[in-house]
Amino acid sequence: MVGKLAGWLDERLAWRRVWQAIFLRMVPKVNWWYTLGSATLFVALNQGITGILLTLYYVPTPDHAYDSVQFITTEVPAGWLIRGLHHWGASAMVVLTVLHMLRVILYGAYKYPREVTWLTGVGLLLVVLGFGFTGYLLPWDQKAYWATTVGTRIAGVAPLVGDFILRVMRGGEGLTAVTLARFFGAHVWALPVALFLLLLIHLYLVIRIGISAVPGRKG
Amino acid sequence: MHGEENRAEENSISRRGFLGLATWAIGGLIGAGMAIPAVAYIVGPALQSTKSQEWIRLGSSTKVEPGLPALFKARIQRKTGWIVNEEELSVYVRTDDGRDFVAMSNVCTHLGCRVRWIADQQQFFCPCHNGVFDKDGDVLAGPPPRPLDRYEVKVEDGQIFILGG
Repeated sequence: MVGKLAGWLDERLAWRRVWQAIFLRMVPKVNWWYTLGSATLFVALNQGITGILLTLYYVPTPDHAYDSVQFITTEVPAGWLIRGLHHWGASAMVVLTVLHMLRVILYGAYKYPREVTWLTGVGLLLVVLGFGFTGYLLPWDQKAYWATTVGTRIAGVAPLVGDFILRVMRGGEGLTAVTLARFFGAHVWALPVALFLLLLIHLYLVIRIGISAVPGRKG
Repeated sequence: MHGEENRAEENSISRRGFLGLATWAIGGLIGAGMAIPAVAYIVGPALQSTKSQEWIRLGSSTKVEPGLPALFKARIQRKTGWIVNEEELSVYVRTDDGRDFVAMSNVCTHLGCRVRWIADQQQFFCPCHNGVFDKDGDVLAGPPPRPLDRYEVKVEDGQIFILGG
């Protein structure tokens, strides 16, 4: 029955060829360091799912943000787990992305013909850091508030445009409801769209060009 | 010799097949580990009962004259999600002998308007759709589907308490 349905669909969608291209493609003999990209993708998926779940209860305003996060953590069934996965997943994202980048640098995998894969990867790293920076404010506790105060002020020391950047980030002079709202908007709309588009190109290129072999001396 | 090897491979699972199966199994486990908490997380608060019953003090029982329902108001705190709201509870308390008390909500059972006591007719009247209840809260006329809701009452040290929340 399932086989028949799969065949029926394949006749119309040719999904078997898509499946083959994605999962059954030829890869050179590689080592465990090559799993870092997949690991990052897996954690990104986790962040997406748990993040969507968190928005079911989270409210990004100063009078509700902290209380709604406490509500998620202490009263919603498995809320502690969903929030915990998102919280620790965020750190894992940064660590894995950086390790993945190091592997690519050290193996020289960024070279021709994979420059565009590398460039989108750099974009993805920046997006991940953006996620970390904006997400850190959302619990609206003391740590969040002061970390963002400091973080935006660091941006403020840039010569000439620093003050302008600081004001754009905060949405005004101080850290207010406007800041929280725009950090939330960036965290759940702007950055996910950027991540999705960059990831699409990144993965397309990984599949189209294939991955590089472990560099070695050729005899 | 060669043929025998092939047959052995057909019967036992190949390395490739085993790894494929293991991947699906682990993926399934992770998926279930994610899906089950997610369902509990989404559905949980919808199933939690928000009604916590406690004794609410209305006031002195001497305010209730026999045969004349007295309206009491009490402030209660109601928690919805992470927000605590103060609500006012309005309750009619009636007695015939000064010892046994009956407490009724003043919310009409039809569509939730407030009923009031009409002393001339010894009836509760709801102005919204002309619902009429007798002194015990039973429906006399109009659209209300059931008598006025009652609260459990107790009197301690001359104070009236109702069980609600």
